[in-house]
Amino acid sequence: MKKCDYFMDLIITDYIDDRIDKTSLDKLENHLMDCHDCRLFLKEVKDSAVSPFKVSAQPTVPVELWNTIKQKIEYEKDGRSRLEDFFEKIRGLIIFPRLVPILASLILMLLAGSVTISTIQVEQNKSKDQGEYLVSLLSPATAGITPENNDLGTPIEHYFL
Amino acid sequence: MEDINKDILLKASQGDMPAFELVYKASSSFVYNVALRVVNNREDALEVSQEVFMIIYHKLSSFRFESSFKTWVYRITANCAINFAKKYSRTKTVPFEEAYGEGSVLNEAHVKIDQDHKEEIVAQLLEQLNTDQRACVVLRDMQGLSYEEIAQSLNININTVRSRLKRAREKLLSLKRQVNYEKV
Repeated sequence: MKKCDYFMDLIITDYIDDRIDKTSLDKLENHLMDCHDCRLFLKEVKDSAVSPFKVSAQPTVPVELWNTIKQKIEYEKDGRSRLEDFFEKIRGLIIFPRLVPILASLILMLLAGSVTISTIQVEQNKSKDQGEYLVSLLSPATAGITPENNDLGTPIEHYFL
Repeated sequence: MEDINKDILLKASQGDMPAFELVYKASSSFVYNVALRVVNNREDALEVSQEVFMIIYHKLSSFRFESSFKTWVYRITANCAINFAKKYSRTKTVPFEEAYGEGSVLNEAHVKIDQDHKEEIVAQLLEQLNTDQRACVVLRDMQGLSYEEIAQSLNININTVRSRLKRAREKLLSLKRQVNYEKV
């Protein structure tokens, strides 16, 4: 029986599917001549598990399949061309496309220039303010210290002034 | 599935519709029939087939001809059909007795039975198998692919193909025996 298991395993796949090597085929065919069970098994496999599928007809492809696929593709192409048209229109709105880079660089230069000028002005104002402050410190009149009003009432001031 | 000229494939990959129609004509029978047998329903098979051809249309430009175009189509078809079948598996309880019972093609092998009835029987038998086993049986016994081609299409090794086919056939045999036993 163990021997039959081995041959049945060969029958149900390799033999039926024509994948068996010559040596195994010879052994199997010799065995089939002597073994009624294996012959019956081979017939059963062929009749019940393989032939119904092998002899079945291939149903024809419904015509609507190609029509649907074609429609889908055309719809996709339409959508894509509409998008391309939209971008084309936007491009058309710019009359002199070659001026665009020149204009863009001019705007950039103007922006950079205005930023530099405003920075210089801020710096100038800052240094002006600092100068005025130092001058105010050095000049007693602006600091509100007059010779009449220079006594702050401390002994050390008496010594220096 | 018919062979397709490389020039036609290149044209189709550039969006040439007449060329893509030739690709469709060469492969639609395979795609539709595999889809039909794996999902076991006409409407679903149409949906799967549409999906397969849209994938082919979109990805054809990235196909590098390193593998065969046929194998590429086999793989896309098998993947789409199996995924669809697994995702929307309708738990049909098809009585296998109908397929192996009285009046079946198997019991009346010598009697000419109309094609519709044969189709019904094939559908019922396939319904008894799980999706993976069904895909192997369809590709092997109905489309005549080799074990190697099935392995490539399903991205599995040859031993797995062999064992899936073995289990599928054993299951069909045991169902047949069960029917015979119940009849006695």
